[in-house]
Amino acid sequence: MLLVLSAEHRAHLGCLPRAGDAAVGELGRLALEQLRRGAAPRACEAAARKLNIGIDTIQHGVEGLVYLLTESSKLMISEIDFQDSIHVLGFSDELNKSLLQLYLDNRKEIRSILGELAPRLPSYHSLEWRLDVQLASRSLRQQIKPAVTMKLHLNQNEDQTAQVLQTDPATLLHLIQQLEQALGEMKMNHCRRIVRNMK
Amino acid sequence: QRFRFCGDLDCPDWVLAEISTLAKISSVKLKLICAQVLRDLLGEAIEYDKILKLTSDAKLESGDVKATIAVLGFILSSAAKHNVDSESLSSELQQLGLPKEHASVLCRSYEEKQSPLQDRLRACSLRLSQLGSVRWRVDYTLSSSELQEVNEPVVHLTFNVRDREGEKMTAVPVTLSADKFWVLLAGEEAAGTSVGWIC
Repeated sequence: MLLVLSAEHRAHLGCLPRAGDAAVGELGRLALEQLRRGAAPRACEAAARKLNIGIDTIQHGVEGLVYLLTESSKLMISEIDFQDSIHVLGFSDELNKSLLQLYLDNRKEIRSILGELAPRLPSYHSLEWRLDVQLASRSLRQQIKPAVTMKLHLNQNEDQTAQVLQTDPATLLHLIQQLEQALGEMKMNHCRRIVRNMK
Repeated sequence: QRFRFCGDLDCPDWVLAEISTLAKISSVKLKLICAQVLRDLLGEAIEYDKILKLTSDAKLESGDVKATIAVLGFILSSAAKHNVDSESLSSELQQLGLPKEHASVLCRSYEEKQSPLQDRLRACSLRLSQLGSVRWRVDYTLSSSELQEVNEPVVHLTFNVRDREGEKMTAVPVTLSADKFWVLLAGEEAAGTSVGWIC
């Protein structure tokens, strides 16, 4: 599967051959840092001064590399496809080889970073519970009414929320039975077939 | 096989696995590590460096040290939770394969701190909101824009309530006429007698 590079993208990457080999290594490093931690304008300024190139060119070059690497890692393209895709840029063989090396070395890490970007539902953190018995109220004395109070702690993107729930024991048993039925579905033939095919 | 300290359920597999790690530490050092774990369970700071020094002789890896702390924490808090006396705990631990010396050392540490541990667990139990304090003031209204001679007492109450998450104190101000205040007081007395009836 080939990557199609837009004209703007090609223009951004066009600064690479002019910059020289050392610069390419530096830009590659900046691109990876940007993927790991986000944009760092000061690092780009420092690189611009060191390599004696305009800061805009550096930023465009870094962004072009970031896009190239993320698209290639996202589609998990093979070496040959990567080489063919960057061939259109008309770079020297050495530059092509260093770009390929950059891609292969960091592909796995980039994929794991991309994996974390998917939206997430709140997930279970912990559950506190308490069993109470209501013995009397303003309206009625001498009752016996059990209730289970639960505080469900959830995690969503590093935010912790808590939900307080209260139920009587009969509903709780019904809830447990429903959840056990849901778990039991995993053992049915249909699920087993799918799980086996996914492995 | 059912164990009382696990709440009359099977012992978790990971606890069984770590019992053999506990046996590698000498019983004298185990007593000191228990003291540290108890400090952590009672809410004081744990001194991890001391534990590392104590386990260095047994040549445990860092994963094993953490597992030791986890299994000791589980045994002690679970025994306190189910109100197990130290002799039963000792015999059950020996059934799991812990040597007699180690079991007796662990149970002696447990026995010393059983009450404070149970008090602490009780304090940590789920609570939705908690009344901090009540402040009151009684005023006497002489006259108002509606009526020249009022001559009525008025009660101001401020309830300081700690919210669900236990972090902020909110002040809830309430103003009552004398009659309403008697109704409130009568309700509270009735609730008090109901509580007295159980205890």
